[in-house]
Formats: sequence, C-alpha cells, structure tokens
Amino acid sequence: MRLTVVGTPGDRRVALFAAACRRAGLAEPALVPWRDVLLGRPFTVDGTLRVESPGEDAEVNALLRGPGDPARVGGGARWYRTFRAGLERLRPYPSVSDIDDIAVMFDKRAAHARLLAAGVPVPPALGPVAGYARLRARMAERGWHRVFVKPAHGSSASGVIALRTAQGGAVRAQTSAAREGDGWYNALRVRTLDTEPEIASLVDALAPDGLHVERWFAKAGLAQEGVRDGVGRVFDLRVVVVAGEPTHAVVRTAAVPMTNLHLGGRRGDLAAVRAAIPWAEAMDVCARAASCFPGSTMVGVDLLVGVGMRRFAVAEVNAFGDLLPGLAGLPGTSAEGGDTYDAQVAAVLRAPAGA
Amino acid sequence: MIHQFHTSFAGLPVFDLTDTTAAGELPAADAVAWRIRLDDYVDEFDPWRELFGTFTERVDTTRVRALLLGNWGNTYDVESTEPLALLTGAAERFPALHAVFVAEYLQEETEISWINHGDLTPLFTAFPKLTEVVVRGGIGLRFDPLKSTVLRDLRFESGGLPARVVQALGASELPALETLQLWLGVDEYGGDSTVEDLAPLLSGERLPALRDLGLQNSPQADQIAAAVAAAPVVARLERLSLAMGSLSDEGAEALLSGQPLTHLAGLDLHHHYLSDAMMERIKAALPGVQVNVDDQRDLEDDWRYVEVSE
Repeated sequence: MRLTVVGTPGDRRVALFAAACRRAGLAEPALVPWRDVLLGRPFTVDGTLRVESPGEDAEVNALLRGPGDPARVGGGARWYRTFRAGLERLRPYPSVSDIDDIAVMFDKRAAHARLLAAGVPVPPALGPVAGYARLRARMAERGWHRVFVKPAHGSSASGVIALRTAQGGAVRAQTSAAREGDGWYNALRVRTLDTEPEIASLVDALAPDGLHVERWFAKAGLAQEGVRDGVGRVFDLRVVVVAGEPTHAVVRTAAVPMTNLHLGGRRGDLAAVRAAIPWAEAMDVCARAASCFPGSTMVGVDLLVGVGMRRFAVAEVNAFGDLLPGLAGLPGTSAEGGDTYDAQVAAVLRAPAGA
Repeated sequence: MIHQFHTSFAGLPVFDLTDTTAAGELPAADAVAWRIRLDDYVDEFDPWRELFGTFTERVDTTRVRALLLGNWGNTYDVESTEPLALLTGAAERFPALHAVFVAEYLQEETEISWINHGDLTPLFTAFPKLTEVVVRGGIGLRFDPLKSTVLRDLRFESGGLPARVVQALGASELPALETLQLWLGVDEYGGDSTVEDLAPLLSGERLPALRDLGLQNSPQADQIAAAVAAAPVVARLERLSLAMGSLSDEGAEALLSGQPLTHLAGLDLHHHYLSDAMMERIKAALPGVQVNVDDQRDLEDDWRYVEVSE
C-alpha cells in the first residue's frame, strides 16, 4: 500500500514514521510539505494520507501565525484559521487522520465539550471569558479558587497559566510566558507571577485568541530518587492510543504544575506509577477519550491522576501526540517491542483507511 | 514543593480515609495512622465534619494512635482551628492518640502560605500525651509556651513561621524533646523571626534531650550558621540541618571555623548556594559525618531562594 504524509521536510516526525514504514517492508511514504498545502500550491496524494504536525519550521509557523517572532505567545486564533483552511484542502483524500477530529483536538473548548458529552472524566470548564476581569468574575460565581487558563489553540503549554486566588485579593500565577518589552514570549522555565496587574496583562493579552479555563485538578505526586519522603514531584501520563488500544505510556514529572519536558519536566518511573494507581482503569479512561476521535488512528492522551491516586481526568487529547522516539510499547499490547510509529503502521496495515 | 503524601507517620503506615475509602473495609484502629481528607475541592467545612463523624462511628477511636488532618476544605476560609476543635472536643474518645499532623495539604491542593491557622494551644492541652506533632503552614499560627514531659518530636513546615511561634518554643519546657525542625521561611509570607529569636533554642537549656535540630528553609541561613557555630546545644546533637535555605560559603566558613562538628552523625545542607570547593571542604573536614550537599542552586542568580515559600 502507498502512504502520503503531510508534514515538514526534514522534521524528525516524518523521518521516524518513514523508518517504521521501512521496518514493516512498506515503500517510503511520499511527502507533501505543509508549506505547499498552506500556500494553496498544487499537490498530489498517492494512496492513503497521514497528517503530521507542521513541526517547528519557521516558515510554516509564519504562514500559520503570521509574521513575527516565532517565540511570541499568542496568535492562536489566526494559527487555527490558517491550519483549518489547510486541513480543508486534505478533505478529499482517504486518510488515517480524520481532519474534523484534528480540528476539534486543536480547539481545547470543543475537545473538552466532546469528551464531557461522552462521559470521559475531565475537569469542569468555565465557558468563554473575554479577559481577566471576566475570568475573576466567573471564578467567583462558580466558587473556584484555582484554575488552569489555556489558550484555546495553544500547544506545548505555551501561554498556559496555573492561577490561584485567595481571600483578600492574593493571586498567584505560574506560567512559562515571560514579559519582554511590550510582549509575552515563551520561556524555557516556569515562573511565578504574583502581582495582579502582571497576571491581568497576560490574561488580557491571550484572551482575544480564545481561552479555555478549567478548574485545577490536584495532581498526584511521585517520590523522586534523592528527594526526601513527603516532597516528590507531580506527575501525569502521556498515553498513546493506537486504533483504540493504549499502546505506549510515559510518566512526566515536574516540581511545577506543567510537566512538559522542555520546561524542565522529567521522565518518571512508569513501573512505580503502574503499581500505585488502578492501571486498567486508567487505560480504560484513555481508550474512552480516544474513542471520541474515531477517525484518528492515533491520539496522545494526557491523563491526570488525582492526589489520592484513585481519580482521573483527561487534560488534553493530542492529534500529534506520538513523538516519543525509541519508546517501546507496553508489555501485553499488540505494540509490545515497537515504537509509537511501528504501532501505527501495523494498525494501518490491519485496517487501511477507506478500504 | 510538597507534592507527595507521607506514606508513614509516627512509625505507622498511613491509611487514607476519604469519602470513598470510608465506605470500604478499614484496618484495625491501632495498626495505621489515619489521614482524614476530602478527595476533591470543597469550599465549606461541613463535608469534612461529616467524614470525621463517619470516622468516629466506624473506627474504635479509643485505640487510634496517630491522625493526619488533610484537606478539610479551602484553607483561606476554614482555619485549622475548625478540624482541631472537632478533635479536641472529642478528646476523651481518643485516649491513645499520641501523634497529630495538622494540615497535610499538598502544593497541588493549596499553597503552604495560604493555610490559615489560629491558636494551637488547645491541641496540646486536650492531648497531654502527644509525643509527635507536625504542623504545615504558618499563617495565623500561635500557641502558648508548651509544657510536656513526653513530647519527643516537633516539626513546623512553613513558608513563613511567625516569630511568636519561635519565641513560644524558646519559652517552652520540653525535657523529652529529641527532634525539633523549623522551616523558618521568608518575611513576605510571615516568617519574621530573627536569629535572636533562636537564642533560647540554641542555648539548649530547656532542651536537654535534643538530638536532632533543623533550622531550615531560611533566607538567613548564613547568620543561622554563624550562630550555630557557637551554640551550646550543638554538642548534644546527632543530626543538624541547615538545609532548604540560602546557605553560602560565608555561612559554611563560619560553621567550619566554629566548634567541632565531627561528633555529628548527619549534617544536612541540601538546597544551598555553596561553591564546589566549599562542598568538598565540608566533606573533607567532617569525615565520618554523613553530609548532604545535594541540590546546589544557581550561584549566578541574583536572588537567593528558599526551597519552600509560596
């Protein structure tokens, strides 16, 4: 069978998937650059389509978000509009990556609504907020003191704010956004902001691009080697679900509420987590989250585990959540021994899209 | 940051008593330390009151030895005095209680600097047999000087411990106290004690049994080190901790040039601003002492952080 990947030339996601195809004895997939799709240039699709992340390419980023410093925070609304227009051009082709699923996964509000409607555990959400004042008013109405404020179309924790408020006006935010001049930029570490004007300014800067606000779900902690009992780091799980089966999982730990690796998060001990939580139930939650996106061969589910290790919530479902190079599949699954890309190639061979 | 519940307390494994587990099979009353906590965000205190009621109905409280008071609602509206009042009001039903952990909240549940306390005195008067007490959070915390011949282990974890707490401890009579750990914290979160406030503790006059002293999590770690270097209490210690704070070469120099420390079993300095050379010097000067100099902080940073403040 033939596969065509929409991606960015030179991106390692493209190379990793091509390597999995070779291992399975398939021909090297053809590549349609995202740039051509976004610029409206003609392209041809040979066989079945796989949609990959546009990646880190500066030119593609500029096409999606408009010109400007690629490290800036914001621009999500324009990014999403352009991205969806690009996705529309892919609609005519048989695909293992459903474009409507992808569009929903890149709108945190829509994805949350879909999961909630399906009975998948998610933190409760606040509904639209147009700015900081409205956010605080809505939080007060609901009696919420701690929330996560997420740009509706962001990724990699860009612009995410972990916000806490207390009686008497105290407010504290942790975010990787850092102010430089009159703009906000993605930094490589999470900082604390504890003056209200600063926090309000960040929220107000992000709000025009759309915000999704969830009540803070208190995450469980994990002992860390060399750290005394009772301290530890918070953790969550990235679980890759391929064709309905949770096949790969990593534990991500951090001393701050965001566990992303580029923000100082670290891989945690999966065996310890498996022993500490009801694992089958956790995997069932991930499978149910994935089943909300039935046209997608693969999704990456971010699973939160509550402080008591017994409650779960899905924080996000990622259309391109499979970039876990070299990670072996979970024992006892059909992907045992292979990486996330091997699992997807095998799934495509079992049930080619449009067949 | 505090991200993990204790798995044991007062020598007992912790049993997590929540709405869910309270309905299931429970261990023997004296086999575990009982953590009573709500497993969700709740504003008001009533659900915890109900859970405590279930606990006292289902468990033979006369054999309960250790309690951890966990998430009882939002900590800025509900002071620790509320769960404590329930407990002290039922004191005659807990004749075996000897260990209490007040406010085992995790960072993900509430800020340590936002846990509101009040007068802790009733806990000590209602339970004169307490041997171990841990309190997390410092805001609003106060108590009269303590008097106990059995209290062995005291720990105050905070991002800012009020000076009046340090002073009350200095004026306490605790002849059996073996372990005292204070996370002193920073001024902006209520940690307004000075090195002078520590003097009665450092003299050791009222602490004849002290073996383990921690003056931790302080931005004044260098001054504390200098005071410790000449403190009479040090001769009787087995373990000393100046960890979690801002200790730099200046404080370490004072420590090394003071009284001998070679009798210690352990010296904990983790989370510090010591140079590599000073870390080596300390280890070389204290052979046979287990020295912990983990978690060296960024010496180039203009600001010196303590480990736990917010």
